[in-house]
Amino acid sequence: MDWTWFHKWGSPKWFYELSGKWLPWLVGAMVTCLLIGVIWALLFVPQDYQQGLTNRIFYVHVPVASISLAFFPLMAIAGTIFLVWRMKLADVVVKVAAPLGAWFTALALASGSIWGVDTWGTWWVWDGRLTSLLLQFFLLLGVVSLRTALEDSEGAARACALLSIVGGINVVVIKYSVDWWNTLHQPSSNFTLATDQANGPEIWVPLIFMIVAVYLFFAISLILSTRNEILQREKRAQWVIDLVAKS
Amino acid sequence: MFFVLVATLFPIGISPEPEVLGEISAGVLWISALLASLLAMDNLFRADFEDGSLELLMLSPHPLYFLVLAKNVAHWLVSGLPVVLVSPLIAYMLNFPEGAYSTLVLTLLLGTPVLSLLGSIGVALTVGLGSRGLILAVITLPMSVPVLIAGTLTVSQTLEGASLSGYLAIMGAMLVAAFTLAPLASAAALRISVN
Repeated sequence: MDWTWFHKWGSPKWFYELSGKWLPWLVGAMVTCLLIGVIWALLFVPQDYQQGLTNRIFYVHVPVASISLAFFPLMAIAGTIFLVWRMKLADVVVKVAAPLGAWFTALALASGSIWGVDTWGTWWVWDGRLTSLLLQFFLLLGVVSLRTALEDSEGAARACALLSIVGGINVVVIKYSVDWWNTLHQPSSNFTLATDQANGPEIWVPLIFMIVAVYLFFAISLILSTRNEILQREKRAQWVIDLVAKS
Repeated sequence: MFFVLVATLFPIGISPEPEVLGEISAGVLWISALLASLLAMDNLFRADFEDGSLELLMLSPHPLYFLVLAKNVAHWLVSGLPVVLVSPLIAYMLNFPEGAYSTLVLTLLLGTPVLSLLGSIGVALTVGLGSRGLILAVITLPMSVPVLIAGTLTVSQTLEGASLSGYLAIMGAMLVAAFTLAPLASAAALRISVN
């Protein structure tokens, strides 16, 4: 099998140029999806007969919460790639994904709280999903602070890659144990966020637009911060010096 | 010692009423055990790292996995086992419900080694750092949540008269998984931190 496509990812310069070509398309697609999704969700989706207008935060909360669950798998995969193949780009991804993931998780918790205060009558309950997301938030902060504390960049990179893998395994265990704890103590049936099967396409089509938009937003933020980090790390490389001289 | 001290703070901070204490005693004991294990964790590799014997251990021909495991077991014998042994006494002082003492001791016996093994990953990652207390806590405490849940649930299930074997089996499974996997991660972390 030809592995050149894989080895290309080892070159930060190659990724920088490629992602530069992708960015306008990604931004365009995101803006389109976001505009369609937001306008549709906020103005045209019929109001929920119980929750009224509050229900519209659903279209922010669900995409953000679903993407925040993707961070630990992403970091664990990137960490494995870094530890096995010593690919610099994978470490950059681990590094920039941790604070980004913390922000998305915080956003998911905050939007859930705002939704919860109106529908459940409280900002916070010790529900399984909320608790496991909160714990994930702490774990991400742990990765960020470990990176900040270890100044040696090679050692920090490997330590954070390892912690991402361990954390990725642990997030799964935490998720199941917290669900187990919660379902035995308080029935969570009132709080299931699962889309009701009775909901028609006028409810879930805008949701898909919003999910795509948020995923694209995540991809764009990841690419932008990765590019930024690449430039900082490679600032002594000739191609970066040329690039800066041109601009 | 630290375990007893933390457990003493709860009646002072919450309420000395026996009914209230009896209700929360299992959680208090588990959280105290968790904090005690976190505090003791720091000594696991610290002294060896500072006087250089950790590097010699890593250079030795034996697999690092078994060396880390041996250090963990030794560390648990002096930090975890005393907690298990003293727990019935503290439980009595906290008006712990009768009929669950043996379960409490058994869960602590199964759970504290898991806490030690998980903690050793965090310690191995941060051993070279100057100020590592908070980072160690942020890394270790979220990972310990499943053990905490399993331990306290097992105790409360005993009080409700449910069959224990399933809960103990899950705790045993956690112990086996931690026993086999955590030293691998700790050994890898040590190789990163010490070079």
